[in-house]
Amino acid sequence: MKFTYRIRGAVTAIAAVALVALGGAAKAEFPEKPVEMTVLFGGTANTIAQLLSELMSDALGQPVVPVSRTGGGGAVGYSHVVGTAPDGYNIVWNSNSINTARHTGHVPFDYSAFAPIARVSIEIPALAVNASTGWTSLADMAEAAKSSDKILRVGISGKGSFTHLTSAALFDAMGIGDKVAYISYGKGKAPVELLAGRIDAAIQWPGQFKSYVEAGDLTVLAVTGDERVAILPDVPTAMEQDVDVNISMWRGLAAPAGTPEDVVAKLAAAAEEAVDSEEFQKAAGNIGFSPAYQGSEEFGKLIAKDDKFYGDLLKKLGMAM
Amino acid sequence: MELFLQAASVAFLPSAIGAVGLGVLIGLIFGSIPGLTFTVALALALPITFSMEPVAAIGLLLGTYIGGMTGGSVSAILLGIPGTPSAAATVLDGYPMTKKGEASIALGTAVIVSVFGGIFSLIVMIVSVDLVSRLAISFGPAEIFALVLFGMSTICGLCGGSIIKGLISGVLGLMMMTIGLDEIDGVPRMTFDSVNLLQGVNLLVAMIGLFAIPFIIEVATQRMDVAPTRVAKIRAHLPSLNLLWRKVWLMVRCSVLGTGIGAIPGTGGAIASFLAYDHARRFSKERDSFGKGNIEGVIAPETANNAVTGGTLIPLLSLGIPGDPATAIVLAGLMIHGITPGPALFMQHATEVYGMYIAVVIAYVWVLALQLVGIRFFVHVLKIPRELLAVAVLVLCAIGAYSIRNSAFDIYAMGVIGVLAYVFVALRVPITPIILGMVLGPTLENEFRTAMMLSGGKAGIFLTSPIALLFFTLALLVIGLQVVSELKFRRNPQEKVKA
Repeated sequence: MKFTYRIRGAVTAIAAVALVALGGAAKAEFPEKPVEMTVLFGGTANTIAQLLSELMSDALGQPVVPVSRTGGGGAVGYSHVVGTAPDGYNIVWNSNSINTARHTGHVPFDYSAFAPIARVSIEIPALAVNASTGWTSLADMAEAAKSSDKILRVGISGKGSFTHLTSAALFDAMGIGDKVAYISYGKGKAPVELLAGRIDAAIQWPGQFKSYVEAGDLTVLAVTGDERVAILPDVPTAMEQDVDVNISMWRGLAAPAGTPEDVVAKLAAAAEEAVDSEEFQKAAGNIGFSPAYQGSEEFGKLIAKDDKFYGDLLKKLGMAM
Repeated sequence: MELFLQAASVAFLPSAIGAVGLGVLIGLIFGSIPGLTFTVALALALPITFSMEPVAAIGLLLGTYIGGMTGGSVSAILLGIPGTPSAAATVLDGYPMTKKGEASIALGTAVIVSVFGGIFSLIVMIVSVDLVSRLAISFGPAEIFALVLFGMSTICGLCGGSIIKGLISGVLGLMMMTIGLDEIDGVPRMTFDSVNLLQGVNLLVAMIGLFAIPFIIEVATQRMDVAPTRVAKIRAHLPSLNLLWRKVWLMVRCSVLGTGIGAIPGTGGAIASFLAYDHARRFSKERDSFGKGNIEGVIAPETANNAVTGGTLIPLLSLGIPGDPATAIVLAGLMIHGITPGPALFMQHATEVYGMYIAVVIAYVWVLALQLVGIRFFVHVLKIPRELLAVAVLVLCAIGAYSIRNSAFDIYAMGVIGVLAYVFVALRVPITPIILGMVLGPTLENEFRTAMMLSGGKAGIFLTSPIALLFFTLALLVIGLQVVSELKFRRNPQEKVKA
């Protein structure tokens, strides 16, 4: 039953459009029809979104349907949701990409076009190097970089991507910002490139490195958040190593600005229930992210703070519009 | 052995076998309907697996992947519209076979060689996963660039009469893929400030437009009283074992090719099937009958694209790297059940890994059973009056184009590309090279630029790698041979009436 619903809901969203058109007439308690959750990226973002929407459906009593609208670094999905009615039936599975999409000029609006609902999870990047370098800390790496004429090759997903921004901030703080060259790879290939020795270091998600660390092929020097990550408990944070960097990627939910407060509250409550569930906590451990529920108001402050941070960083990198 | 028996006891549970069968069925349906693809099927199947046992869950996903890969050939052969990009090369000879009244033979062959390719690659994978994954690591940006360039050279074999027309079409495909946000520099290209163009032209959307729309326009502009090219009697003949046995060497070569290409991240089924098709044509005794319904033209791409399934499992399991969007979803399914691919996988999750191997075999048994029964029904599609069929295809394609990215823009994109394709067909410009350009273009460009960044802007990186040099030489050889034969043809056009 659930499956047939999904086929209808996700494949032929034409039906969903019809529902929206027909359902708007009578005003009753939210939610009286399915909620559409726009997903901006594939990979981990999509997997978490699918699980979250399933759990939120149970909490809300109406299906939450994840609909993938990828492309343009999130610009396509954000633009779609901005154009929908602020009634809570169209929400977006957002992330720091709202800040970067704005400052790189890919969308003509900023975070204030959305009402924050709740933060759901955070992912903390990790810096890995090939074990054969012998480096075990950020200090080792900085020293080696400073004492050599060689430029370090650092793998990133793409210019302006989250891994790029994190790398830039970290190496700047380590004082070796002028000693690195960034190599853009597609998603997920960094561990292999490190293994093959084609690059010297890479910042990616801890889950991608874990297996290689256990096998002794790669060393993770630091994580960039303010706390250690559960799947690599022995790896210190950058701040523990006296390098002043605190960057993590949050993901959460937002609705178009102007969505009624009681609707936002209901969605936030459903998200909180989903995040607290055993299933979500277990999946977090497996996939490698941290559940981190945060209510609407605090979440809004976080987004505003990050907006300034990423705006400045992009300006420094010459990528801001 | 103990681990294997333990895995078998899980994988042969009725629920697990049923889950694999369900996956195969979903994959077959999505793969065989033009417009719906198995990547969409996988995305829909993923949430169902959240609450299942790990082996059954992975079985369902692998079944969907494998079913989809084999299902793509059905509409490619019957309607000339590939169900997946991997089946685009199958159209070249599969559809002419249908026109000759040999649809069921082509379909039967496609299924059997698919199973052959799939099982072959699985065995290669089980035996040599360590060795192959180590080899795959040595493929850096420069090597992959050279390999993909070699893939591009097969355009020569797809040109039909004129190299110039083939190149026009291939370059157009390359150009279309530059539209959108460039991942490497994060800069929009050819988007004219349109958010919709920022997402670029989707390969699947373009493919649907290129193959389906000309078919629909043709039917719509046909005079109703003209008898369509339809066979009067449709019988569900299967290919004889003798016929298949004679081609077994070709099947082995294409399986090796498919497995090898599948193992290299960033390549995939479409490249493998085009290379296999070109390989079969080049070494065939009846080279001139390719494109006119030569069974080898079905055997080669269908063997290769299924051999890719085993090949892609190698980097997926041993390195945790998905080779294409479909395997990326399989990877998500693995991760959510706590099975993290990587070097440690084979020690930590041996039971699940063996269970996956068994699930792949079960999936192919299902494919064989479902498809061989299905062929009897599939061929009846040809009895449907073409005008009705065209309407159904149009609706399915519009839904399909929309469902890939949930974007209405893609329906219009499909229409525009389709009309362009119709004009090309009318001008006798081949459209398959467009697909080849679109499939290979992004990899070609990105790997080139990454390699140049790695070397600090020195092109020498391409000339110091023996692997890259090997593929450059092969590419030169293919192009050189084609130019020579074209010049010969120009001098004595009567020698070959139809090239």
